[in-house]
Amino acid sequence: MRVGIAEDSGIFRSSLAMLLEASGAEVTASAADGARLLAMIRTHPPDAVILDIRMPPSFTDEGIQTAAELRRLHPAVGILVLSTYAQTGYASQLLEAVPSGVGYLLKDKVTDADALMDGLNRVAAGEIVIDQTLVRRLLERNRTPSLITLLNERERAVLKEMAEGRSNLGIGQELFLSPRTVEAHVTSIFAKLGLNQTDTDNNRVRAVLTFLRSAGAAG
Amino acid sequence: MGIALVPLAEPSSRQAGLARSGETARPHPGWLSWRRRKPDLVTAAVLVASGCVCTLVQGPTWSQATLLAVVNLTTSMTFVGTGLMLRRQPGQQRVAWALVLAGILRSLDFADALGWGPWPFYGLVFGGMDRLVGAYALLRYPGPALQRHQRVYLIVLGGFMLVGRTLIAVTSTAAWNGDPASAWWPALWPHLGLSQTISDVVNLVEGLLGGAMVVLLVLRLVRTKGLDRVVITPIIVAGLAAVAAATVSAVAQMLTSISTSPNDAYVVEGIVDLALPLAFLVAAIQSGLLLRNIAGLTAQVSADTNVDGVRFALRTALRDPTLEVLDLSARKADSGSAGLGGEEAVAAIAQAQPGDRLVELIRTEGGTPIAVVIADPGLARYRGLFDAAVQTSGLALQNAQLQARAARAELGQVRASRARLVEAGLAERRRLERDLHDGAQQHLLALAAQLTAAMTRTRDPAAIAAFEQARSQLGGVLAELRNLAHGIHPAVLAHSGLAAALEEVAERLPLPVRVTAEAPRVAPAVEATAYFVACEALANVVKHAQASSAAVDVRVAGSWLEMEISDDGVGNAGAGGQGLANMRDRIGALDGEVAVDSPAGQGTRVLVRIPCA
Repeated sequence: MRVGIAEDSGIFRSSLAMLLEASGAEVTASAADGARLLAMIRTHPPDAVILDIRMPPSFTDEGIQTAAELRRLHPAVGILVLSTYAQTGYASQLLEAVPSGVGYLLKDKVTDADALMDGLNRVAAGEIVIDQTLVRRLLERNRTPSLITLLNERERAVLKEMAEGRSNLGIGQELFLSPRTVEAHVTSIFAKLGLNQTDTDNNRVRAVLTFLRSAGAAG
Repeated sequence: MGIALVPLAEPSSRQAGLARSGETARPHPGWLSWRRRKPDLVTAAVLVASGCVCTLVQGPTWSQATLLAVVNLTTSMTFVGTGLMLRRQPGQQRVAWALVLAGILRSLDFADALGWGPWPFYGLVFGGMDRLVGAYALLRYPGPALQRHQRVYLIVLGGFMLVGRTLIAVTSTAAWNGDPASAWWPALWPHLGLSQTISDVVNLVEGLLGGAMVVLLVLRLVRTKGLDRVVITPIIVAGLAAVAAATVSAVAQMLTSISTSPNDAYVVEGIVDLALPLAFLVAAIQSGLLLRNIAGLTAQVSADTNVDGVRFALRTALRDPTLEVLDLSARKADSGSAGLGGEEAVAAIAQAQPGDRLVELIRTEGGTPIAVVIADPGLARYRGLFDAAVQTSGLALQNAQLQARAARAELGQVRASRARLVEAGLAERRRLERDLHDGAQQHLLALAAQLTAAMTRTRDPAAIAAFEQARSQLGGVLAELRNLAHGIHPAVLAHSGLAAALEEVAERLPLPVRVTAEAPRVAPAVEATAYFVACEALANVVKHAQASSAAVDVRVAGSWLEMEISDDGVGNAGAGGQGLANMRDRIGALDGEVAVDSPAGQGTRVLVRIPCA
C-alpha cells in the first residue's frame, strides 16, 4: 500500500508516517498542504492519500477541496480525510464532493493501527468509510421528522454498517446475518429512502448520504 | 373729561411695538431699570408743579386741620410719584398720567376750603373727578385697553357726577353748602328742599355706582389669569378699600349736618386712598420680583434639561398654562424642512397659531434658533420678563443639546468599546481553539501515533496490555480535548456559519431539536453571540424544561438577526436566572434585545434580536 500524506502539523505528519511505515505501508509523498501533495504525486500517484481538513493557506476546508481535485486528476486514488473535528457537516461535504472511495475518520484513529490500515485499504478499494463516532451519534440521536425514522431497528443497523463502508458480505458477518437477508434489508432501505432499485453501487452511497443529510449539518 | 387731558404722545420708539404682539422680536430694555436712570425734566417739572399746586390749594386747611392737609398732600404726591414711575412701564402711559392727574385732582377737591372765587363751586361739582380718573387706572392697569362695559361705566359715572352735582349747585347757594357768601356761586334757582332732595339722590346714586365699581373690580380679579392676576391683586384690593372708604365717607357726610365739615372721615379716606398708589407700586415691584424669579428658572431648567422641562418651567414662571415650546431641531428632522431659517419658521408657526398668540424664537448664545415659544399675548405687557425667560431658556436648551450630544457621543464610544470587547473576546476564543488544535491536540495525536507505531513492532503481551490501557486513556483525553476546543469556539461556526454550527449542537442534545436557519453569513461577533446564546438557551431546555422537543429558528430580517428558541416543556422559566442574565449581557453588548415568554405549562420561547448591519 503506497500512501501520500497532506498534513500541516509537522510533528503529527512525521509521526503518522512512522505509524504507517510500521504498519506495512509505504509513504511515497508527504506535504504540509494539498497543493504540494498534488504536485508530488503528479507522476506517481499512490494507492491512497491521507488528508487533513484544515490546512494552509486559508485553514478552512482545504482537505475537501484537495479531495475533489485529487479525484478529478487521479480517480483511482482512495481518499481518507483524517480530521480533528467530529462533525457530520464536514463528512457530508466530503461525500458530496467525492461520492466513493472516500473516508472521514477522526485523527484519534492513530491509536488503532489496524482500523487506520483497514480504512486505507477500503477507500483504495472504492468503499466509503465514516468514523464510528459520527455514525453512532447520528443513529443515537432522537430526531424528528427524518427519513431515518422510517427504518426499523434492523434496517438501521444495516445502514450503519453500510455507512462505515462494509459490503453486504461484511455486514452479514458483522450482524450474523445471511447475505440474502442483508440483501433484503438493503433493498428495503433503498425503497424506504426512495432510491432506484437497480443502481446498487451508487445507491449505497446515496443511502449513506441520505443518512448523513437527514441527520446532518447540510440540512 | 379729565381723561382727555392725559398726554397721549408715546415719545420713544421702544414703546411702539409693545402694545402690539406682532412686533415681538424687537429687543427691549427692561423698564424696571428706572432705578438706575437719571430723573428726566418732565418728571422733575411735574413733581414740582403738582407739589406746589397740592400745597397751595390746601390753603387754610394747613392751619385749621393740619392733619388732614398733611394726609391730603402725602396721598396726592404719592399718586403723582407713582404715576411718574409707572411712566417707565411699557404700554402704561395713560394709566401713569391718570395717576398723576388723580393725585392733583385729589388735592383740588379740597380747594373749597380756600373759601373764595370759584373754588367752593369747583369743589362741589368736580370733587369726584379724582375718583373717576382713579377708577380708570384701576380698571385698565395693566391691560392694553378698557373693556366696553368698563368704558360705559366710567362715562356713566363721570356724566352723572357732573350733571348731578351741577344740579345741586344751581339749586343752592354757597351758604347752604357751608361756604362763605363771598365765594362765586351760580345760584340760578335756589330752593332748599329741591337742593336737599337732589343732593340725597346724587349721594345715593354715587353710592350705588361705588357698589358697581366693587362688582367691576371683583369681576376683573376673577377674570384675570396668569401674570396679570399676580400683578393686579394688590391693586384691586386697594381699590376695593378705597371704594369702601369713599362710601363710608359719603355716608358720614349724609348722616352729619351738611354744614359740619367731616374732617375725620376725610382723614380716614385720605389714608385709605394712600393704599391705591402704594398698591400700584407694589404691583410694579411685583413684576420686578417675577423677573427675579427668572433666575430661579435657570436652576429649574438646568435640573430638567429638555424641551419638556423648559416648557414646564416657562409655564410656571410666566404663569401661562397655555404656553408651548416647539423644538426646532426636532421639527427640522420631522418635516424635512431643514432649510427653513429661524425667522421663516417663526413666521410659519405664527401663521398657524389661532388668534394673536405671542410667538418668539429661543436662540442660543450664538443666535442660532433652537426652539419657538408660543404664549399668551398678554405676556407682551411683561416684555422684559418674557424676554429674560426666553433668553434663560435658550441657555438651558443649548446646554441640554450640548449635554445630549456629549451623552450620544459617550454612548457611541461605550457601544463601540463594548463591541470591541466582544470582538476581542471572540478573537481570544478563536486563538485558544486554534492553539489547542494546532498545539496540544496535534502533539498528543503525534504521541499516540508514535506509541501505536512502537506497539506494531512488539509481540510482548505485557507491553501490548500496557499499550491497550494507554490507548483507551489516550482516546478519552483526545475526545475531551476535542470537546474542549469545540466548546471554546466551534470551528464549524467560522467555517460554515451559524446554521451548520447549530445543527451540530442539535445533534449532541438528548432531545429532538429542529433547526431552521435561513440566515446568510453575518458578522462573526453576531454569529458567535447568537450561537452561544442558543447553546445557553438549549442547555436550559435540557436542564429545566422537561421538554419532548425544541426548535431553533434563525432569520435575518432587515438589519436584524432574529432568533427564537422554543420548547414544549413546562414553561415558567425564571426571568431572573443567571442563564438569562448571561444572555442579556452577551446580547446587550451588541445592542441587541432578548425576551423570554414562559407561561406555566405552555413551553418557553426565548426571542433574540441582534443588529447585524
